Amino acid sequence: MADVMNVGVNLEAFSQAINAIQALRSSVTRVFDTLKDGMKNKETLEGREKVFITEFQDNLQAVNRDLNELERLSNLVGRPSESHPLHNSGLLSLDPVQDKTPLYSQLLQAYKWSNKLQYHAGLASSLLNQQSLKRSANQMGASAKRRPKVQPSTLVLPPQYVDDVISRIGRMFPDMSIELFRPNGTSAVLLVTLGKVLKAVVVMRSLFIDRTIVRAFNENIYTEDGKLDIWSKSNYQVFQKVTDHATTALLHYQLPQMPDVVVRSFMTWLRSYIKLFQTPCQRCGRYLQDGLPPTWRDFRTLEAFHDSCRQ
Amino acid sequence: MGVTCVCQVPVAEGKSVQQTVDMLHRKLEQLGAVKQGNFCVDCETYHPVGNTSGQPPKFLYVMHNSETPLSCLALFEGGPCLTADGNFDVLMVKLKSHFQNSKGHKVESRGARYQYCDFLVKVGTVTVSSSARGISVEVEYCPCVVPGDCWNLMKEFMQSFLGPSVPELPSVFAAKPEGLYAPVDCSDTMTQYLELFSKLRKQQVVSGSSVR
Repeated sequence: MADVMNVGVNLEAFSQAINAIQALRSSVTRVFDTLKDGMKNKETLEGREKVFITEFQDNLQAVNRDLNELERLSNLVGRPSESHPLHNSGLLSLDPVQDKTPLYSQLLQAYKWSNKLQYHAGLASSLLNQQSLKRSANQMGASAKRRPKVQPSTLVLPPQYVDDVISRIGRMFPDMSIELFRPNGTSAVLLVTLGKVLKAVVVMRSLFIDRTIVRAFNENIYTEDGKLDIWSKSNYQVFQKVTDHATTALLHYQLPQMPDVVVRSFMTWLRSYIKLFQTPCQRCGRYLQDGLPPTWRDFRTLEAFHDSCRQ
Repeated sequence: MGVTCVCQVPVAEGKSVQQTVDMLHRKLEQLGAVKQGNFCVDCETYHPVGNTSGQPPKFLYVMHNSETPLSCLALFEGGPCLTADGNFDVLMVKLKSHFQNSKGHKVESRGARYQYCDFLVKVGTVTVSSSARGISVEVEYCPCVVPGDCWNLMKEFMQSFLGPSVPELPSVFAAKPEGLYAPVDCSDTMTQYLELFSKLRKQQVVSGSSVR
Protein backbone atom coordinates (compact mmCIF):
# COMPACT_ATOMS: atom_id res chain seq x y z
CA MET A 1 0.00 0.00 0.00
CA ALA A 2 2.79 2.37 0.96
CA ASP A 3 4.61 1.50 -2.24
CA VAL A 4 1.63 2.32 -4.34
CA MET A 5 1.15 5.72 -2.68
CA ASN A 6 4.81 6.53 -2.87
CA VAL A 7 4.94 5.82 -6.57
CA GLY A 8 1.65 7.68 -7.13
CA VAL A 9 3.08 10.91 -5.73
CA ASN A 10 6.04 10.76 -8.08
CA LEU A 11 4.08 10.04 -11.22
CA GLU A 12 4.17 13.74 -12.14
CA ALA A 13 7.92 13.80 -11.79
CA PHE A 14 8.13 10.69 -13.93
CA SER A 15 6.35 12.25 -16.88
CA GLN A 16 8.43 15.42 -16.52
CA ALA A 17 11.58 13.33 -16.43
CA ILE A 18 10.57 11.50 -19.60
CA ASN A 19 10.02 14.87 -21.29
CA ALA A 20 13.40 16.03 -20.05
CA ILE A 21 15.04 12.94 -21.55
CA GLN A 22 13.39 13.71 -24.88
CA ALA A 23 14.60 17.30 -24.71
CA LEU A 24 18.12 16.14 -23.87
CA ARG A 25 18.17 13.74 -26.78
CA SER A 26 16.99 16.43 -29.25
CA SER A 27 19.53 18.97 -28.01
CA VAL A 28 22.33 16.39 -28.33
CA THR A 29 21.12 15.64 -31.85
CA ARG A 30 21.30 19.36 -32.63
CA VAL A 31 24.94 19.54 -31.47
CA PHE A 32 25.89 16.81 -33.88
CA ASP A 33 23.84 18.39 -36.66
CA THR A 34 25.79 21.65 -36.43
CA LEU A 35 29.04 19.73 -36.36
CA LYS A 36 27.98 17.77 -39.41
CA ASP A 37 26.85 20.80 -41.39
CA GLY A 38 30.11 22.61 -40.78
CA MET A 39 30.65 26.34 -41.36
CA LYS A 40 28.01 28.37 -43.19
CA ASN A 41 28.91 30.24 -46.35
CA LYS A 42 29.78 33.79 -45.15
CA GLU A 43 31.89 36.54 -46.76
CA THR A 44 34.81 36.53 -44.42
CA LEU A 45 36.61 33.62 -42.80
CA GLU A 46 36.36 35.28 -39.36
CA GLY A 47 32.60 35.72 -39.83
CA ARG A 48 32.22 32.03 -40.70
CA GLU A 49 34.20 30.86 -37.69
CA LYS A 50 32.48 33.25 -35.34
CA VAL A 51 28.99 32.17 -36.36
CA PHE A 52 29.95 28.45 -36.13
CA ILE A 53 31.48 28.76 -32.66
CA THR A 54 28.52 30.73 -31.31
CA GLU A 55 26.08 28.15 -32.61
CA PHE A 56 28.13 25.31 -31.18
CA GLN A 57 28.35 27.01 -27.79
CA ASP A 58 24.60 27.67 -27.73
CA ASN A 59 23.90 24.03 -28.52
CA LEU A 60 26.26 22.74 -25.87
CA GLN A 61 24.69 25.07 -23.31
CA ALA A 62 21.29 23.69 -24.28
CA VAL A 63 22.58 20.15 -23.68
CA ASN A 64 23.97 21.24 -20.35
CA ARG A 65 20.70 22.83 -19.34
CA ASP A 66 18.66 19.79 -20.30
CA LEU A 67 21.03 17.49 -18.45
CA ASN A 68 20.75 19.58 -15.28
CA GLU A 69 16.99 19.54 -15.59
CA LEU A 70 17.04 15.74 -15.93
CA GLU A 71 19.25 15.37 -12.88
CA ARG A 72 16.94 17.53 -10.84
CA LEU A 73 13.92 15.54 -11.92
CA SER A 74 15.60 12.22 -11.28
CA ASN A 75 16.12 13.24 -7.66
CA LEU A 76 12.42 13.95 -7.43
CA VAL A 77 11.51 10.54 -8.84
CA GLY A 78 13.54 8.93 -6.10
CA ARG A 79 14.84 5.39 -5.92
CA PRO A 80 12.41 2.53 -6.29
CA SER A 81 11.66 0.88 -2.97
CA GLU A 82 14.26 -1.76 -2.09
CA SER A 83 12.14 -3.43 0.55
CA HIS A 84 10.39 -5.56 -2.03
CA PRO A 85 11.72 -9.13 -1.90
CA LEU A 86 11.83 -9.37 -5.65
CA HIS A 87 13.54 -5.98 -6.00
CA ASN A 88 12.73 -4.20 -9.22
CA SER A 89 10.82 -7.11 -10.66
CA GLY A 90 8.36 -6.65 -7.79
CA LEU A 91 7.18 -3.51 -9.56
CA LEU A 92 5.69 -5.76 -12.21
CA SER A 93 2.83 -6.37 -9.79
CA LEU A 94 1.81 -2.76 -10.38
CA ASP A 95 1.12 -3.44 -14.02
CA PRO A 96 -2.59 -2.65 -14.45
CA VAL A 97 -3.06 -4.94 -17.45
CA GLN A 98 -2.59 -8.11 -15.41
CA ASP A 99 -4.90 -10.18 -17.58
CA LYS A 100 -2.98 -9.59 -20.77
CA THR A 101 0.52 -10.00 -19.40
CA PRO A 102 0.53 -12.39 -16.41
CA LEU A 103 4.25 -11.81 -16.03
CA TYR A 104 4.20 -11.26 -12.32
CA SER A 105 2.49 -14.53 -11.31
CA GLN A 106 4.66 -16.47 -13.72
CA LEU A 107 7.70 -14.84 -12.24
CA LEU A 108 6.65 -15.79 -8.74
CA GLN A 109 6.18 -19.42 -9.74
CA ALA A 110 9.54 -19.56 -11.48
CA TYR A 111 11.10 -18.08 -8.40
CA LYS A 112 9.54 -20.73 -6.15
CA TRP A 113 10.71 -23.48 -8.49
CA SER A 114 14.24 -22.24 -8.59
CA ASN A 115 14.29 -21.95 -4.79
CA LYS A 116 13.12 -25.53 -4.37
CA LEU A 117 15.56 -26.76 -6.98
CA GLN A 118 18.45 -25.16 -5.21
CA TYR A 119 17.38 -26.60 -1.86
CA HIS A 120 17.07 -30.15 -3.20
CA ALA A 121 20.29 -29.92 -5.15
CA GLY A 122 22.04 -28.88 -1.96
CA LEU A 123 20.67 -31.85 -0.06
CA ALA A 124 21.60 -34.25 -2.85
CA SER A 125 25.11 -32.95 -3.15
CA SER A 126 25.77 -33.27 0.58
CA LEU A 127 24.44 -36.86 0.48
CA LEU A 128 26.54 -37.74 -2.51
CA ASN A 129 29.63 -36.32 -0.91
CA GLN A 130 29.08 -38.53 2.11
CA GLN A 131 29.08 -41.70 0.06
CA SER A 132 30.20 -41.86 -3.47
CA LEU A 133 28.14 -44.53 -5.13
CA LYS A 134 31.28 -45.90 -6.70
CA ARG A 135 32.83 -48.35 -4.33
CA SER A 136 36.29 -48.01 -5.79
CA ALA A 137 38.21 -44.85 -6.49
CA ASN A 138 39.74 -46.41 -9.60
CA GLN A 139 36.44 -46.34 -11.40
CA MET A 140 36.68 -42.60 -11.76
CA GLY A 141 39.34 -43.29 -14.34
CA ALA A 142 40.83 -40.56 -16.51
CA SER A 143 38.36 -37.88 -15.49
CA ALA A 144 39.76 -37.99 -11.95
CA LYS A 145 42.76 -36.05 -13.14
CA ARG A 146 40.76 -33.13 -14.40
CA ARG A 147 38.26 -32.99 -11.58
CA PRO A 148 39.41 -32.54 -8.01
CA LYS A 149 38.33 -35.81 -6.38
CA VAL A 150 35.81 -35.53 -3.59
CA GLN A 151 36.98 -37.75 -0.77
CA PRO A 152 33.90 -39.23 0.91
CA SER A 153 34.09 -38.36 4.56
CA THR A 154 33.14 -41.87 5.76
CA LEU A 155 36.15 -43.36 4.00
CA VAL A 156 38.63 -41.52 6.14
CA LEU A 157 37.65 -42.77 9.57
CA PRO A 158 40.56 -43.18 11.97
CA PRO A 159 41.79 -46.78 12.33
CA GLN A 160 41.21 -46.61 16.08
CA TYR A 161 37.49 -46.04 15.50
CA VAL A 162 37.32 -49.01 13.12
CA ASP A 163 39.05 -51.18 15.73
CA ASP A 164 36.51 -50.10 18.34
CA VAL A 165 33.51 -50.85 16.15
CA ILE A 166 34.87 -54.27 15.18
CA SER A 167 35.70 -55.27 18.74
CA ARG A 168 32.23 -54.15 19.88
CA ILE A 169 30.65 -56.31 17.20
CA GLY A 170 32.93 -59.20 18.18
CA ARG A 171 31.68 -59.00 21.77
CA MET A 172 28.07 -59.12 20.59
CA PHE A 173 28.42 -62.63 19.17
CA PRO A 174 30.10 -65.07 21.53
CA ASP A 175 30.14 -67.92 19.00
CA MET A 176 31.92 -65.80 16.46
CA SER A 177 35.52 -64.73 16.78
CA ILE A 178 36.75 -61.75 14.79
CA GLU A 179 40.45 -61.12 14.34
CA LEU A 180 41.62 -57.88 12.79
CA PHE A 181 44.72 -57.60 10.61
CA ARG A 182 46.21 -54.66 8.78
CA PRO A 183 48.50 -56.31 6.28
CA ASN A 184 48.75 -53.35 3.90
CA GLY A 185 48.48 -49.91 5.42
CA THR A 186 45.33 -48.77 7.16
CA SER A 187 42.77 -51.02 5.48
CA ALA A 188 41.63 -53.74 7.81
CA VAL A 189 41.19 -57.41 6.96
CA LEU A 190 38.95 -59.40 9.28
CA LEU A 191 39.18 -63.12 9.85
CA VAL A 192 35.81 -64.27 11.11
CA THR A 193 35.62 -67.77 12.56
CA LEU A 194 32.08 -68.96 13.05
CA GLY A 195 31.84 -71.86 15.47
CA LYS A 196 33.35 -74.91 13.81
CA VAL A 197 31.50 -74.26 10.59
CA LEU A 198 33.28 -71.69 8.50
CA LYS A 199 35.96 -69.06 8.26
CA ALA A 200 35.37 -65.84 6.40
CA VAL A 201 37.98 -63.35 5.24
CA VAL A 202 36.42 -59.88 5.10
CA VAL A 203 38.37 -57.12 3.39
CA MET A 204 37.44 -53.63 4.58
CA ARG A 205 38.00 -50.13 3.29
CA SER A 206 37.61 -48.03 6.35
CA LEU A 207 34.26 -49.29 7.66
CA PHE A 208 32.98 -50.42 4.27
CA ILE A 209 33.19 -54.09 3.45
CA ASP A 210 34.90 -54.41 0.13
CA ARG A 211 35.11 -58.13 -0.45
CA THR A 212 34.53 -61.35 1.36
CA ILE A 213 35.59 -64.97 0.91
CA VAL A 214 34.05 -67.82 2.88
CA ARG A 215 35.92 -71.08 3.39
CA ALA A 216 35.42 -74.26 5.36
CA PHE A 217 36.56 -74.44 8.97
CA ASN A 218 39.24 -77.00 8.05
CA GLU A 219 40.52 -75.15 5.00
CA ASN A 220 43.72 -73.22 4.85
CA ILE A 221 43.30 -69.47 5.15
CA TYR A 222 46.95 -68.56 4.86
CA THR A 223 49.08 -68.58 1.75
CA GLU A 224 52.37 -70.43 1.65
CA ASP A 225 54.30 -67.39 2.85
CA GLY A 226 52.08 -67.06 5.90
CA LYS A 227 49.89 -64.19 4.76
CA LEU A 228 46.11 -64.16 4.86
CA ASP A 229 44.82 -65.55 1.58
CA ILE A 230 42.16 -63.08 0.48
CA TRP A 231 41.87 -64.27 -3.11
CA SER A 232 41.56 -68.01 -3.68
CA LYS A 233 38.11 -69.45 -3.33
CA SER A 234 37.04 -72.43 -1.28
CA ASN A 235 37.54 -75.96 -2.59
CA TYR A 236 34.05 -76.89 -1.56
CA GLN A 237 31.02 -76.07 -3.64
CA VAL A 238 28.91 -75.31 -0.60
CA PHE A 239 31.28 -72.55 0.51
CA GLN A 240 31.68 -71.18 -2.99
CA LYS A 241 27.91 -70.77 -2.95
CA VAL A 242 27.99 -69.17 0.50
CA THR A 243 30.69 -66.76 -0.77
CA ASP A 244 28.41 -65.74 -3.63
CA HIS A 245 25.54 -65.15 -1.23
CA ALA A 246 27.78 -63.18 1.13
CA THR A 247 28.76 -60.91 -1.75
CA THR A 248 25.08 -60.40 -2.47
CA ALA A 249 24.58 -59.50 1.18
CA LEU A 250 27.34 -56.88 0.97
CA LEU A 251 25.46 -55.15 -1.79
CA HIS A 252 22.15 -55.54 0.02
CA TYR A 253 23.18 -54.02 3.36
CA GLN A 254 23.92 -50.42 2.39
CA LEU A 255 23.46 -47.45 4.66
CA PRO A 256 25.95 -44.75 3.69
CA GLN A 257 25.36 -42.60 6.76
CA MET A 258 25.94 -45.39 9.27
CA PRO A 259 28.63 -47.78 8.08
CA ASP A 260 28.94 -49.44 11.50
CA VAL A 261 25.30 -50.54 11.32
CA VAL A 262 26.05 -52.10 7.95
CA VAL A 263 28.94 -54.13 9.35
CA ARG A 264 26.80 -55.23 12.28
CA SER A 265 23.92 -56.28 10.03
CA PHE A 266 26.30 -58.21 7.81
CA MET A 267 27.83 -60.03 10.77
CA THR A 268 24.38 -60.86 12.15
CA TRP A 269 23.47 -62.28 8.78
CA LEU A 270 26.73 -64.22 8.53
CA ARG A 271 26.18 -65.65 11.99
CA SER A 272 23.02 -67.40 10.80
CA TYR A 273 25.33 -69.85 9.00
CA ILE A 274 26.24 -71.41 12.34
CA LYS A 275 23.60 -74.05 11.57
CA LEU A 276 24.55 -74.35 7.89
CA PHE A 277 24.59 -78.15 7.96
CA GLN A 278 21.85 -78.60 10.56
CA THR A 279 18.92 -76.66 9.17
CA PRO A 280 16.62 -78.08 6.51
CA CYS A 281 15.23 -75.79 3.83
CA GLN A 282 12.23 -73.79 5.06
CA ARG A 283 10.39 -74.37 1.80
CA CYS A 284 11.03 -77.94 0.69
CA GLY A 285 11.92 -79.31 4.12
CA ARG A 286 14.88 -81.28 2.79
CA TYR A 287 18.55 -80.97 3.65
CA LEU A 288 20.07 -81.49 0.23
CA GLN A 289 19.32 -80.21 -3.21
CA ASP A 290 21.79 -81.04 -5.96
CA GLY A 291 24.17 -82.12 -3.24
CA LEU A 292 24.13 -78.78 -1.45
CA PRO A 293 22.57 -77.85 1.88
CA PRO A 294 20.36 -74.72 2.13
CA THR A 295 22.98 -72.06 1.47
CA TRP A 296 20.72 -69.02 1.21
CA ARG A 297 19.78 -67.01 4.29
CA ASP A 298 16.96 -64.50 4.01
CA PHE A 299 18.23 -60.95 4.62
CA ARG A 300 15.40 -60.09 6.99
CA THR A 301 14.24 -63.29 8.64
CA LEU A 302 17.57 -65.19 8.36
CA GLU A 303 15.62 -68.31 7.40
CA ALA A 304 17.45 -71.02 5.47
CA PHE A 305 16.56 -71.84 1.89
CA HIS A 306 18.10 -73.70 -0.99
CA ASP A 307 19.27 -71.35 -3.69
CA SER A 308 16.46 -72.49 -6.00
CA CYS A 309 13.81 -72.54 -3.24
CA ARG A 310 14.18 -68.92 -2.18
CA GLN A 311 11.88 -67.27 -4.73
CA MET B 1 39.13 -84.41 6.16
CA GLY B 2 35.44 -84.13 6.67
CA VAL B 3 32.94 -86.30 8.46
CA THR B 4 33.06 -89.92 7.33
CA CYS B 5 30.66 -92.78 7.74
CA VAL B 6 31.51 -96.36 6.81
CA CYS B 7 28.73 -98.90 6.56
CA GLN B 8 27.99 -102.32 5.25
CA VAL B 9 25.49 -102.74 2.46
CA PRO B 10 23.66 -106.05 2.39
CA VAL B 11 23.91 -108.02 -0.80
CA ALA B 12 20.65 -107.73 -2.71
CA GLU B 13 18.36 -110.75 -2.71
CA GLY B 14 19.27 -113.12 -5.52
CA LYS B 15 22.27 -111.08 -6.65
CA SER B 16 25.98 -111.63 -6.37
CA VAL B 17 28.32 -109.19 -4.61
CA GLN B 18 29.56 -107.86 -7.95
CA GLN B 19 26.01 -107.33 -9.27
CA THR B 20 25.06 -105.39 -6.14
CA VAL B 21 28.18 -103.23 -6.48
CA ASP B 22 27.36 -102.55 -10.13
CA MET B 23 23.86 -101.55 -9.11
CA LEU B 24 25.25 -99.07 -6.57
CA HIS B 25 27.56 -97.63 -9.21
CA ARG B 26 24.63 -97.16 -11.56
CA LYS B 27 22.58 -95.43 -8.88
CA LEU B 28 25.44 -93.07 -8.05
CA GLU B 29 26.00 -92.22 -11.68
CA GLN B 30 22.30 -91.52 -12.12
CA LEU B 31 22.53 -89.13 -9.19
CA GLY B 32 25.27 -87.23 -11.02
CA ALA B 33 28.33 -88.55 -9.22
CA VAL B 34 31.59 -88.69 -11.17
CA LYS B 35 33.99 -91.60 -10.91
CA GLN B 36 37.45 -90.59 -9.78
CA GLY B 37 39.70 -93.62 -9.82
CA ASN B 38 39.92 -96.40 -7.28
CA PHE B 39 40.65 -96.84 -3.63
CA CYS B 40 41.91 -99.56 -1.34
CA VAL B 41 41.81 -100.07 2.42
CA ASP B 42 43.57 -103.10 3.89
CA CYS B 43 44.07 -104.49 7.32
CA GLU B 44 46.58 -107.02 8.61
CA THR B 45 46.19 -108.69 11.96
CA TYR B 46 49.05 -109.45 14.34
CA HIS B 47 48.63 -111.63 17.38
CA PRO B 48 50.91 -111.39 20.41
CA VAL B 49 53.46 -114.15 20.92
CA GLY B 50 54.00 -115.77 24.32
CA ASN B 51 50.70 -114.96 25.95
CA THR B 52 51.46 -116.05 29.50
CA SER B 53 48.48 -114.59 31.33
CA GLY B 54 45.12 -116.28 31.12
CA GLN B 55 43.45 -113.33 29.43
CA PRO B 56 42.27 -113.62 25.83
CA PRO B 57 44.92 -112.27 23.45
CA LYS B 58 44.70 -108.68 22.27
CA PHE B 59 45.28 -108.21 18.57
CA LEU B 60 47.19 -105.48 16.82
CA TYR B 61 45.81 -104.28 13.51
CA VAL B 62 47.93 -102.50 10.92
CA MET B 63 45.90 -100.72 8.28
CA HIS B 64 46.65 -98.84 5.05
CA ASN B 65 44.42 -96.46 3.22
CA SER B 66 45.01 -95.27 -0.35
CA GLU B 67 43.68 -91.87 0.71
CA THR B 68 46.81 -91.41 2.87
CA PRO B 69 49.37 -93.43 0.91
CA LEU B 70 52.41 -92.37 2.95
CA SER B 71 51.07 -93.31 6.36
CA CYS B 72 49.85 -96.43 8.01
CA LEU B 73 47.74 -96.85 11.07
CA ALA B 74 48.31 -99.24 13.94
CA LEU B 75 45.35 -99.95 16.20
CA PHE B 76 45.73 -101.96 19.34
CA GLU B 77 42.54 -103.74 20.25
CA GLY B 78 40.67 -101.64 22.79
CA GLY B 79 43.70 -99.42 23.16
CA PRO B 80 45.63 -96.64 21.56
CA CYS B 81 45.77 -95.79 17.91
CA LEU B 82 49.03 -94.86 16.22
CA THR B 83 49.64 -93.07 12.95
CA ALA B 84 53.03 -93.96 11.50
CA ASP B 85 55.07 -93.73 8.33
CA GLY B 86 54.50 -96.26 5.57
CA ASN B 87 57.53 -98.35 6.51
CA PHE B 88 55.96 -99.29 9.83
CA ASP B 89 55.41 -102.73 8.22
CA VAL B 90 59.18 -103.26 8.18
CA LEU B 91 59.30 -102.56 11.90
CA MET B 92 56.60 -105.15 12.49
CA VAL B 93 58.80 -107.77 10.79
CA LYS B 94 61.52 -106.96 13.32
CA LEU B 95 59.03 -107.35 16.16
CA LYS B 96 58.35 -110.93 15.07
CA SER B 97 59.27 -112.21 18.49
CA HIS B 98 56.40 -110.22 20.04
CA PHE B 99 53.79 -109.98 17.32
CA GLN B 100 53.16 -112.59 14.67
CA ASN B 101 51.31 -111.87 11.47
CA SER B 102 48.16 -113.96 11.37
CA LYS B 103 48.25 -115.32 7.85
CA GLY B 104 44.90 -115.66 6.19
CA HIS B 105 43.46 -112.84 8.27
CA LYS B 106 44.23 -110.13 5.76
CA VAL B 107 41.08 -108.14 5.01
CA GLU B 108 40.82 -105.72 2.14
CA SER B 109 38.24 -103.42 0.63
CA ARG B 110 38.77 -102.35 -2.97
CA GLY B 111 36.55 -100.43 -5.29
CA ALA B 112 35.70 -97.21 -7.05
CA ARG B 113 35.83 -93.70 -5.67
CA TYR B 114 33.06 -91.30 -6.65
CA GLN B 115 32.67 -87.58 -6.15
CA TYR B 116 29.31 -85.86 -5.95
CA CYS B 117 29.38 -82.18 -5.08
CA ASP B 118 31.17 -82.08 -1.72
CA PHE B 119 30.59 -85.77 -1.03
CA LEU B 120 33.14 -88.53 -1.54
CA VAL B 121 31.66 -92.00 -1.94
CA LYS B 122 33.72 -95.19 -1.98
CA VAL B 123 31.98 -98.42 -2.82
CA GLY B 124 34.22 -101.38 -2.09
CA THR B 125 34.12 -105.15 -2.15
CA VAL B 126 35.41 -106.59 1.10
CA THR B 127 37.57 -109.68 0.68
CA VAL B 128 38.87 -111.85 3.48
CA SER B 129 41.88 -113.85 2.29
CA SER B 130 40.84 -113.26 -1.32
CA SER B 131 37.22 -114.36 -1.08
CA ALA B 132 34.46 -111.75 -1.42
CA ARG B 133 32.51 -111.35 1.80
CA GLY B 134 30.43 -108.19 1.48
CA ILE B 135 30.15 -104.61 0.39
CA SER B 136 31.42 -101.53 2.19
CA VAL B 137 30.27 -98.01 1.46
CA GLU B 138 32.18 -95.04 2.78
CA VAL B 139 30.56 -91.63 2.57
CA GLU B 140 32.54 -88.53 3.41
CA TYR B 141 31.13 -85.02 3.62
CA CYS B 142 34.25 -82.92 3.18
CA PRO B 143 33.24 -79.34 4.14
CA CYS B 144 31.99 -80.19 7.64
CA VAL B 145 34.05 -81.25 10.64
CA VAL B 146 31.43 -81.80 13.34
CA PRO B 147 29.71 -85.18 12.88
CA GLY B 148 26.64 -84.22 14.89
CA ASP B 149 26.06 -81.15 12.73
CA CYS B 150 25.84 -82.82 9.36
CA TRP B 151 24.54 -86.25 10.28
CA ASN B 152 20.96 -85.64 9.13
CA LEU B 153 22.27 -84.24 5.90
CA MET B 154 24.48 -87.28 5.30
CA LYS B 155 21.63 -89.61 6.15
CA GLU B 156 19.47 -87.93 3.53
CA PHE B 157 22.24 -88.33 0.97
CA MET B 158 22.79 -91.99 1.79
CA GLN B 159 19.07 -92.67 1.57
CA SER B 160 19.14 -91.36 -1.98
CA PHE B 161 21.25 -94.27 -3.21
CA LEU B 162 21.20 -96.88 -0.45
CA GLY B 163 17.48 -96.85 0.11
CA PRO B 164 16.17 -97.68 3.56
CA SER B 165 19.28 -99.48 4.80
CA VAL B 166 20.90 -96.38 6.25
CA PRO B 167 23.11 -96.82 9.30
CA GLU B 168 22.87 -94.98 12.58
CA LEU B 169 25.48 -92.43 13.66
CA PRO B 170 28.73 -94.42 13.90
CA SER B 171 29.54 -95.34 17.48
CA VAL B 172 33.00 -93.82 17.17
CA PHE B 173 31.31 -90.41 16.95
CA ALA B 174 28.54 -91.14 19.42
CA ALA B 175 31.13 -91.90 22.10
CA LYS B 176 32.79 -88.52 21.65
CA PRO B 177 31.77 -85.53 23.73
CA GLU B 178 29.91 -82.75 22.00
CA GLY B 179 32.02 -80.36 20.01
CA LEU B 180 34.93 -82.66 19.27
CA TYR B 181 35.47 -82.91 15.58
CA ALA B 182 37.06 -85.35 13.21
CA PRO B 183 40.85 -85.22 13.38
CA VAL B 184 43.03 -84.58 10.35
CA ASP B 185 44.34 -88.15 10.23
CA CYS B 186 41.64 -90.59 9.27
CA SER B 187 41.71 -92.64 12.49
CA ASP B 188 37.93 -92.35 12.92
CA THR B 189 37.43 -93.70 9.43
CA MET B 190 39.84 -96.55 9.99
CA THR B 191 38.22 -97.48 13.29
CA GLN B 192 34.95 -97.80 11.43
CA TYR B 193 36.56 -99.96 8.74
CA LEU B 194 38.07 -102.15 11.42
CA GLU B 195 34.68 -102.66 13.07
CA LEU B 196 33.19 -103.55 9.72
CA PHE B 197 36.01 -105.98 8.90
CA SER B 198 35.75 -107.74 12.27
CA LYS B 199 32.01 -108.10 11.79
CA LEU B 200 32.44 -109.55 8.31
CA ARG B 201 35.13 -112.00 9.49
CA LYS B 202 32.80 -113.35 12.13
CA GLN B 203 29.92 -113.53 9.67
CA GLN B 204 32.06 -115.79 7.52
CA VAL B 205 29.72 -118.74 7.56
CA VAL B 206 26.47 -116.79 7.32
CA SER B 207 27.44 -114.44 4.54
CA GLY B 208 29.37 -117.11 2.74
CA SER B 209 26.12 -118.83 1.88
CA SER B 210 24.66 -115.72 0.28
CA VAL B 211 27.62 -115.12 -1.99
CA ARG B 212 27.23 -116.92 -5.25
